[in-house]
Amino acid sequence: MKHSVNRPPTPDGAEDQGNEPTLQEIINIKLIESGEKERLMELLRERLIECGWKDEMKALCRSYVKKKGRNNVTVDDLVHLITPKGRASVPDFVKAELLQRIRSFLMSAAL
Amino acid sequence: MSSKINGHVSPQPCPHLLVFRSRNGPKPFRALKDCIRVKPPGGRAAIRREPTEVARCGTCEESSRSRLYACVACAAVFCHAPLLHSHASDHSLSIPGHEIAVDVDRAELFCCACGDQVYDRDFDAAVVLAQTVNATATTSTSGSTAMQCSVAGSQPENLRKRRRVDYRPWEPDSGEHISRGNQSIPLLDAANASLVSSTQQPWGLRGLNNLGNTCFMNSILQALLHTPPLRNYFLGDRHNRYYCQQKNGAINGTKNSRLCLACDMDALFSAVFSGDRTPYSPAKFLYSWWQHAANLASYEQQDAHEFFISMLEGIHEKVEKDKRKSQSPGSGDCCIAHRVFSGILRSDVMCMVCGFTSTTYDPCVDISLDLEPNQGGSGKSSSAKSLNSFNVEADCMRPNQNCGISTLKGCLERFTRAEKLGSDQKLFCQKCQVRQESLKQMSIRKLPLVSCFHVKRFEHSSIRKMSRKVDRYLQFPFSLDMAPYLSSSILRSRFGNRIFPFDGDEQDASNDLSTEFELFAVVTHSGRLDAGHYVTYLRLSNQWYKCDDAWITQVNESIVRAAQGYMMFYVQKVLYYKESENQGTS
Repeated sequence: MKHSVNRPPTPDGAEDQGNEPTLQEIINIKLIESGEKERLMELLRERLIECGWKDEMKALCRSYVKKKGRNNVTVDDLVHLITPKGRASVPDFVKAELLQRIRSFLMSAAL
Repeated sequence: MSSKINGHVSPQPCPHLLVFRSRNGPKPFRALKDCIRVKPPGGRAAIRREPTEVARCGTCEESSRSRLYACVACAAVFCHAPLLHSHASDHSLSIPGHEIAVDVDRAELFCCACGDQVYDRDFDAAVVLAQTVNATATTSTSGSTAMQCSVAGSQPENLRKRRRVDYRPWEPDSGEHISRGNQSIPLLDAANASLVSSTQQPWGLRGLNNLGNTCFMNSILQALLHTPPLRNYFLGDRHNRYYCQQKNGAINGTKNSRLCLACDMDALFSAVFSGDRTPYSPAKFLYSWWQHAANLASYEQQDAHEFFISMLEGIHEKVEKDKRKSQSPGSGDCCIAHRVFSGILRSDVMCMVCGFTSTTYDPCVDISLDLEPNQGGSGKSSSAKSLNSFNVEADCMRPNQNCGISTLKGCLERFTRAEKLGSDQKLFCQKCQVRQESLKQMSIRKLPLVSCFHVKRFEHSSIRKMSRKVDRYLQFPFSLDMAPYLSSSILRSRFGNRIFPFDGDEQDASNDLSTEFELFAVVTHSGRLDAGHYVTYLRLSNQWYKCDDAWITQVNESIVRAAQGYMMFYVQKVLYYKESENQGTS
């Protein structure tokens, strides 16, 4: 590109802030673009239903709503309630399977 | 605070949603509708401006947050993670009128100010429409019309609303006056008052003699004699056998025209409820039924369920000759048998390639349920292969599984579960015009007054030329709520968190009836396939009675719970409790 005038390059949005996209970011975008993220999400949903995790979370939410009253609970309350327990109770074999899938995706995507 | 549609609570809009609607005209979400993307087939709906857009938060550039919301007013995307930071909330606070957003991955409306989901009928309808019709369906619209019919509004012929009739108190007409005088006996009489003292057995309990392997018939008859709507019909003289036979004799003078199973039922009801406690021999009934079902006429043991179906058919057939009545069993207007037992099942078959779903409605007088094939598990075979030692963990982690006990609810859940039809069972897809692998799901469109559940305990294999009986115990509840198995519930769970205008029928008469049922009769089978015995347990005024041919005894409910159920009869709760309020004076 010929610069006829001495001027600084056109600002490039976020990149110019000095923030290089992290590895996590790059992986995430690659996953989304290839459609793999969608497939992984479906797989995760299936596994979590099979092992009863979803039913457990549902039961937690139900008992909370029963306690507080149906009209006094918001989605944010429920998310706040089940996020720590939910993250902690994902079975190891589910985590292992998904990590394995992501690993093989990364190898095939040659990152 | 919330209104009920189809028995499901529909939440009222929050103040911010109301303001948003008032500011943005009649269709405030029309711009969003173009951004609905559905991953086929029949998959999840997401919101994207471009099909391949990677959504990221406008403030922090993060795209890997679990909840990203697009402001409906300005289309800017923000993350929402209330535990850490919520750029969506910041946005809503900074600009008034920008409180309503949509979850980009779930296509669900959200109010950032209230921190809660909100619902809009038009938006939800658009999402559901996008999910049921393939996103690239520019070719043919014939497929979408079929689904639209069942989703949006026009109902098949047999489901139109029944015309309501004003209540009129009953006055006997001239015919009824006469029959009242001649053939009726008082149920309650000052002279007979001792017959109905509380220590006596309830009305209508009378043993039936076994006429030679006829326990299959006796067991079903006992159940029918105490089916509340059926009992009320016959005891209320709605089918007068004298009048009916006179009428028939007038039309065709031959003897065969006299065959009317309903008349025989009427005679049976009269005999059983007469107050006479000596066992009754239903010989006339057996003879009439033999004439109807000639192929089953023998002294061999028959299947009670087969007899049940055959009997209902027999009652219906007689009425078919009466041209005035409507013929479709689904509406229940044709005969008393269908009025009491007939419900409507809905079957959805979805093509797994293009997502096109075809829906059919079929009337049914009972539901036949399979027992679980394996003890203690329905784990998918694919996961079994890959998880090896984790398999046991997987099975027992399910909170609903009591590791081995089959339940009626479990059977119903399996009955209404979406089932992948194998590659050897490909069904023809109208859209693809070839046979494709399909996903089939059953649900109950209309509940009958009395639900009969038949447990498939007798397996007949024509391949192996043998039959066997499955003895596995099935646990069944005394009270049953059928709501989760209704089409509205099944469809709701298929499409997620939406206001789902099921068939557009908010004032359907069937919605007035509740979904709660009470058990009143259990037909049990004991013994082998070729040498077994049927016994019926009846629940009257919350007491259980064992009806073993000619012997009627009062039993404890634990005996009933432990029995091997073959057919279970449940009646709508509103029809049950009233009759057991006051024994002897009802």
